[in-house]
Amino acid sequence: MASRRDQLTVLLALVTAICLGSAIFFSNGTQLLMPGPLTSGHAAIENCNACHTKSGSNKLSWLHGLVAADPLADSKACLTCHKMPATAFNPHGAAAEVLEQSTRRLTRIAAGTTAPRSAVAQSIAFPMKDVIAGGLYCATCHQEHQGASFNLHKISSEKCRSCHVVKFDSFDGDHPAFENYPFKRRTRIIYDHASHSGKYYPDLAKKDPATRTPATCSACHNSNNDRRVMAVAPFDQICASCHLGQIIGKERVSGPKGIAFLTLPGLDLETLKKKNASIGEWPDGSDAALTPFMKLIMNRNEKGRGLVKAVDGLNLLDLATASDSQIKAVTDLAWEIKGLFHALIKGKASDVLGNLSAGDGAKLNTALISDLTAGIPRDAVIGAQQEWLPNLAAEMTGGPVTLPEAPSGSNAVQAVPIPSPQEPQSAAAVETNSSDSEPPETESVGTEPAGAEKTVCADEPPRAENIAATDEVAPDSEDEPETGESGETLSAEEQLAAVKGRLPLPNGTPRAIKTRIENARKKKPHEEAEAKAEGAKVVPCTDEQPRPDAAGETEAAEANANEGTEAPSAGGQAAADTTEQFDDLLFPTGSEKAGRTEEADPASKTEGKTPADALPEANTAPPAPQVQAAPTTGIESDVDPETWAEYGGWYRQDYTLYYRPTGHKDKFVQSWLVLTWPQAPTGGTSPAAAVFDYLIGKDAQGSCTKCHSVDDIRGKGRVVNFSPASVANKHGRFTHFIHEPHMGIMDNRGCLTCHDLERNRPYLKSYEQGNAWKFTANFGAVKKELCQGCHTSGVARQDCLLCHKYHVNGVATPVMNTKIPAQ
Amino acid sequence: MRARASDALIGGSGLAVAGYVINRAVLGLLIAALSGGLFWLVWIYGNGLRDPRYLDGWVLAGGMALQVCFHIVKTFSVSPKSATRWRKIHIFAGYLVIAAFISHSDFTLPDSGFEWALWTGFVLVTLSGILGTYLAWSQRAKSRVDEGISYDRIPALRAELEIAFLRAIAETDPSAAAIDLPGLPHDAWITELYSTHLGDFFQGPRNFTAHLIGSQRPLKRLTGAIDNLSRYVDQPRQAKLAYIKTLVAEKDRLDFARVSLGLTRGWLFVHVPVTYALIVLTVLHVLVVYAFSSGVW
Repeated sequence: MASRRDQLTVLLALVTAICLGSAIFFSNGTQLLMPGPLTSGHAAIENCNACHTKSGSNKLSWLHGLVAADPLADSKACLTCHKMPATAFNPHGAAAEVLEQSTRRLTRIAAGTTAPRSAVAQSIAFPMKDVIAGGLYCATCHQEHQGASFNLHKISSEKCRSCHVVKFDSFDGDHPAFENYPFKRRTRIIYDHASHSGKYYPDLAKKDPATRTPATCSACHNSNNDRRVMAVAPFDQICASCHLGQIIGKERVSGPKGIAFLTLPGLDLETLKKKNASIGEWPDGSDAALTPFMKLIMNRNEKGRGLVKAVDGLNLLDLATASDSQIKAVTDLAWEIKGLFHALIKGKASDVLGNLSAGDGAKLNTALISDLTAGIPRDAVIGAQQEWLPNLAAEMTGGPVTLPEAPSGSNAVQAVPIPSPQEPQSAAAVETNSSDSEPPETESVGTEPAGAEKTVCADEPPRAENIAATDEVAPDSEDEPETGESGETLSAEEQLAAVKGRLPLPNGTPRAIKTRIENARKKKPHEEAEAKAEGAKVVPCTDEQPRPDAAGETEAAEANANEGTEAPSAGGQAAADTTEQFDDLLFPTGSEKAGRTEEADPASKTEGKTPADALPEANTAPPAPQVQAAPTTGIESDVDPETWAEYGGWYRQDYTLYYRPTGHKDKFVQSWLVLTWPQAPTGGTSPAAAVFDYLIGKDAQGSCTKCHSVDDIRGKGRVVNFSPASVANKHGRFTHFIHEPHMGIMDNRGCLTCHDLERNRPYLKSYEQGNAWKFTANFGAVKKELCQGCHTSGVARQDCLLCHKYHVNGVATPVMNTKIPAQ
Repeated sequence: MRARASDALIGGSGLAVAGYVINRAVLGLLIAALSGGLFWLVWIYGNGLRDPRYLDGWVLAGGMALQVCFHIVKTFSVSPKSATRWRKIHIFAGYLVIAAFISHSDFTLPDSGFEWALWTGFVLVTLSGILGTYLAWSQRAKSRVDEGISYDRIPALRAELEIAFLRAIAETDPSAAAIDLPGLPHDAWITELYSTHLGDFFQGPRNFTAHLIGSQRPLKRLTGAIDNLSRYVDQPRQAKLAYIKTLVAEKDRLDFARVSLGLTRGWLFVHVPVTYALIVLTVLHVLVVYAFSSGVW
């Protein structure tokens, strides 16, 4: 019998093995070995190797799984669909430093709690160190093959407890009391509830009873759109009535209301002259300082960085004690600034700003460049250049324009052939200039015939006579094309056409504006005469603020112009010089060139003239110097440029080009802050930090940081919190709370049931430093006992996952890559 | 026949019964405690972010290996004392393995073909083992199968009983011939009893189903018929019928022993081969589990 039984035993074992082998062989894939159905979310996965990476696709290749390999391989396969950060396999998917910090805090709390015995036994019998050391697998918590309706997210509170240093049995048991919940991080918007509700609103209501002030919490807050965030109503809805004026500078009582962007800094010209520093023309009326923006812009290349560093801490208005090397640096700085202006006019603003270092060396995107320039009109820069550095083009191509005798209003070592609008040259100076100095080789638009005299107003709008005259001399220019710095050959028509239609922004003082407008009005009747003028002479234009000695001459010139006679020559100013002062600075862009060429060419064709033919005509055309030189005469206005830009935009005043914020969310201010904040740690001395500090200062224009808090991100600069709190901001948080389910159970105190307004708390002090986690809220912390009223055994859930999140950085499912079908 | 605890349970002294009950209670409590301990250990193991199925799986595999060792040891014909000890360990460990299996299957039924095969194999082995344990207990507890009787000797014993019975039937009373008066046909009545009831009974194994379910109704029916006849016969025939009754009881015991020992041998035809088939399935199960494990051991 025993032998029969043994035979049966062997037989059954063999039959079992054969049946299994056959089943595996004849079954579809390795499904037979599957321990159970997948959850419905994964049910579509048919290949085992989609998740079990080592299993392969053959019937027996799953045996490869027995070979040791990367233990995280299968978990990494999960990340194909479930996108997680690089720290995915850390506990909570959090960064190591976050975990360390959290553990330190919890260790402190753990000292005051008693761990349940089962937890102690578990930690002794099965310590967690080994489990966590190599990284947590997805399957540690999410165990598949448990059926279609299995809840993969389910995890017991005991499992949570196993890792945590604070071990307790339940929420209504020994769960630690809340620590300042939910006000651990300070609010991004600085809003003192106590002072607003206790002082500002009552004052406002008293002052203007018609003004509507928030009466309930829901006037400003709601959580309907985003259930996890108690959102704040937008600025325009609740803040603008009181704070908009602060942003646009309307309520500013002192200092400029605009942000000084570009400036021609004041220099100690006397010392520079003594030391033979060749800086070319430079107005001596400026006492402006170099703006942080300019420093940052200059900082974009090695040379600029050196210069900024060299002149840093140097008083540019007093260089008496400066060393030779410092004088050299100042000289180079002056040329760098000139180069900057030249580049801004000659090229595109985006070319100048586009290569600003954004911290990581990444190229700035077009949107950011657009915001950084705030659509700065080219004419604003041209106007500034014409006013401050009228001979810039000549200097940039031929070096400093020097005169033996220094003209008034300019530095001693330079000669400015054409007076600047604010510092008009005397006729004598111009004469001297034209007679004694060779006109530099420039990128001029055209060549004036010998003997032609022109005087242009540097800050004037392009004048018709110039355009007309140059149109006529254009063929000459074609014969002898001028080559710009870039080697680009431009025809006179092209260069002139670029000037057309450009109107500089109001600049200078109201009187200057008035003068210009008047001049423009006066010259209009003479435009035709100017166009035909041969050997036209240009008289110096009248400056907005003419000096007493120049005023008479200007008036005389105007009188002559009105009479249709040639204006008294300022002394034979070379035609080339005059064009340099104006037209040749205005190089068109590529697209403009194309347009202008088309515009200019037909004119010459219709006249049936070749470019060569046009020259004699141009030469013989009677100039209308009076008209050409006619200074603009302003309309009577007491509106200064700053006021003119009351609602924001660019304006020029003195030797500075300002930008005045246009309102809330001003892109210019915001973009410069965004650009510079990675390089602007607290106490940083870099040019970027200087710009950042300039814009977040207490009295900074725009007043952004009056309401938007500035966080010091260790090692990553500072951040201005422009974005409101959102779910995205809550990434990394372990605790979550949804207001809505709780709204219906509040007593008649409403929000105050949980959030007690404590008026004497030093809320605003929290924002005097950069650490966002050092915070004293207006409101008292929510107490655990309050939650425990419902969340207790047998009443409401109290498991860990009800309020705490495991994957603190979230898990996202990326959009799949779908190729667009080709036709 | 030696006095045993099981004997005590049936008809032994109160002290022996108490000792038996305490012994069984202690064993039961120990099994319960160990099973509870295993469940708790598996629970805290799982709470420690480990897959508890690996822990109770290896406990189960270890238990199964121990049980197989018992069969191997028996094959190598150890001493009866050692075999008895091994059997006790086998039964005790068997209950713990059931606890491990329940834990391993997470108190749920399987939901795939391969798991059903494993589950069925284990359940078959377990149930057959429990049946064998019950049979062993019932044999001892009901004292109806002498330890000296083996399944193979039952036919010979039954034949001896049959011969003894036939002799008893054939034996007539010599005094009846000395009396002139015609007497009552006592012997004829006994012969009729033989032909109607007892002849067939002694010819082969009878009442399989009744013995399988532990029923003694067939025996009582036969002894009842004998007792009824005893009232009408004289003293010598009454003694004869009493002897026949003893033979019937002995035959019934043999029939029970046959059924009991047959089952005892029969369940092993399930228990042992299925155990080895289960081992084959288990080996594959372990390979699959580790091949497809996603790191959580």
